[in-house]
Amino acid sequence: MTADSPDPAHARTPPDPPASAGTPESPGPAATPGSGGAPHPSAAGPAPAATRRRSPGRVAFALLLPGLLALLLTYALPLVWVLRMSLNEAEDGGVIRQTLSVATFTHVLGSSHYWNVIGQTLELGVLVTLCTLVVSYPVALFLARTTSRWRSLLVALAVAPLLISSVARTFGWMAILGTQGVVNKTLDGLGLTDTPLHLANNLTGVVIASTEIYMPFAILAMISGFGRLDPALEHAAAALGAPRRTVFRRIVLPLTLPGVLTAALLVFVLSLSGYVTPRLIGGGRVFVLATEIYDEAITALNWPVAAVLSVLLLAVFGVVISLYLWAQKALEARFTGPGEARS
Amino acid sequence: MADAPARTPSAPAAPAGDTPSPEGSAAHLVLDGLVKTYPGKDGAAVRGVDLAVERGRMLAVLGPSGCGKSTTLRMIAGLVEPTAGRVRVGGRDITDAPVHRRDMGVVFQSYALFPHLDVARNVAFGLEMRKTPKADLKRKVAEALELVRLGHLAGRRIAQLSGGQQQRVALARALVVEPAVLLLDEPLSNLDAQLRAAMRDEICRIQRETGVTTVFVTHDQQEALSMADRVAVMNHGRIEQTGSPEDIYERPARSFVARFVGRANLLPGTAEGQDGDHTLVALDGLGRVPAAGEPVARGGTATVMLRPHRIALSPAAGGTGAVRGTVLSAGYAGETVAYRVRVGDDGPLLDVERPTGTQEPFGPGAEVELTWDHAAPRLVSDEDGDSEGSR
Repeated sequence: MTADSPDPAHARTPPDPPASAGTPESPGPAATPGSGGAPHPSAAGPAPAATRRRSPGRVAFALLLPGLLALLLTYALPLVWVLRMSLNEAEDGGVIRQTLSVATFTHVLGSSHYWNVIGQTLELGVLVTLCTLVVSYPVALFLARTTSRWRSLLVALAVAPLLISSVARTFGWMAILGTQGVVNKTLDGLGLTDTPLHLANNLTGVVIASTEIYMPFAILAMISGFGRLDPALEHAAAALGAPRRTVFRRIVLPLTLPGVLTAALLVFVLSLSGYVTPRLIGGGRVFVLATEIYDEAITALNWPVAAVLSVLLLAVFGVVISLYLWAQKALEARFTGPGEARS
Repeated sequence: MADAPARTPSAPAAPAGDTPSPEGSAAHLVLDGLVKTYPGKDGAAVRGVDLAVERGRMLAVLGPSGCGKSTTLRMIAGLVEPTAGRVRVGGRDITDAPVHRRDMGVVFQSYALFPHLDVARNVAFGLEMRKTPKADLKRKVAEALELVRLGHLAGRRIAQLSGGQQQRVALARALVVEPAVLLLDEPLSNLDAQLRAAMRDEICRIQRETGVTTVFVTHDQQEALSMADRVAVMNHGRIEQTGSPEDIYERPARSFVARFVGRANLLPGTAEGQDGDHTLVALDGLGRVPAAGEPVARGGTATVMLRPHRIALSPAAGGTGAVRGTVLSAGYAGETVAYRVRVGDDGPLLDVERPTGTQEPFGPGAEVELTWDHAAPRLVSDEDGDSEGSR
């Protein structure tokens, strides 16, 4: 595409005599090669190539700039601020002593209370992720495989709960799971239980409600991750003698694992940072990092501890995402071979 | 299409193994009145297909897209449940057997290789399902890969293979279990032209070496004619004609077959009587032409098929009695020239195909004489008037 031809015979002589009506020494036409005529092979040759090569980069940068600025202002700077805050120390009455020490870190990491909070956060994350995957997988598998003309509607229905605020949905679950809730009233009315089941104000309730709240995310992530599933593969396996369960175990499950993995990451991360459901259904008995950070920052006015907990939460995210990337790479290697060049 | 053996009372699904059919018929795979209707759709996809394939033979089911050929194949494989009719293999009725108990080797159009398994494990899959002992399994996988000449790629991932290699893996995977019947769904349609010719020979070689009874569906008449022992031409869910490739091409029974397999001039006329085994047909502008084939009663309408390459052209001489025409267009196609010739002044248009290099080509406007040998015109039946095109 380079306009400068090495052969002068094929390049038109540069400044078009009829077009350049100005002074003969005017370099005008040669300096603006984009305006039409081919540039002079020797004089203006390198100029157009250089501008053309640089301009896409400039345009891209100009387009990226607003986003970068927004990220810088709303994400990077606060993050730096949080990191800075975590190195301060708190004194009584919400006073923050500006310093540069790891005293707050030592305090938090030396306290069994905070370790319990971290433990419960991870426990909740793992339980919610497992439950969400188990209940979402069949739905996602059905939606990915069905050829029904209602498919779009069904997908929309599966995702519809997202239209309702998770606060409202959590209140709904409180009405269902509470001691006077639908479940306990029903069981009691049927004479199946003497004392109400403890379904709310504890981890069980938080897991149940969170599972429902994260299902739409998991289903969407799985459907988009099930791209490798081709009905012909299942037919081929069946024709080779595999009964349905074997087809599922040997073909469907391995091929859907990447989608399951993505959904797992999404749900785990969402539930690690979830605040509303643990706070409302936990009834003050479920302590996770998100609620703890809120309490430290707003109630106890201990911003350095809140900042330290935020940094710890970020560290957990980092570990989880590294694990995800590693697992994804391992899964992908099964499809493309162990780093071998393609033939 | 009537070469299915007399219907035998279907034996209840016997356990594995071939029970020879009562008459000891040579037909290995028998389709008996297969019908498939889909709810909510007008008309059936497959409207009563009878077919029989002898052991070790290769049958091509040829037809335009949407003619029901793939549905028929899927009914044999057990992937589609027939609305009516029976499927028998080696005398055993397998119509109600589930896919995984049918012992069919299926090669899908997309190959359907398992992307998460390497070549050897793809091929081993069927053997694992049959609980083949490890040592046997290894040997058989190696033999199957050797058969398709891919022994050196056993450890490759599917994504690392070319289209032709994937096709071979799919064949090896289907054949390694020594299936009762090998089913190929448009086996060559995903390959480029050169590879297609090579794979055509390859599939024929493999089929001969293994001696497996084979059914393949295709919309490509060349594939069907060159590969198969027998060809069944399908249209609108029905078999139009079954026969050897020569039968189908030289002696098409119906106008659809004549048009779909190769090119054909189809000329309507009126039967005027018999002359030996030929029927004399009066054709517009061509006079009285004797045509072989199923006789038509005097006065009945008859359609005569004339293949373009069976018509010879020569420069118009002064003589009378010959069929004269004017060249309207000449299309040079390398090995042949395709002419359109107007017979007489307002007679029918004929397609004529002449090899290049034998005579000076005629240009548009040239006056020519048309001749053909006695055996060239064939009578074809026109029963299926709506056979134009496909749904």
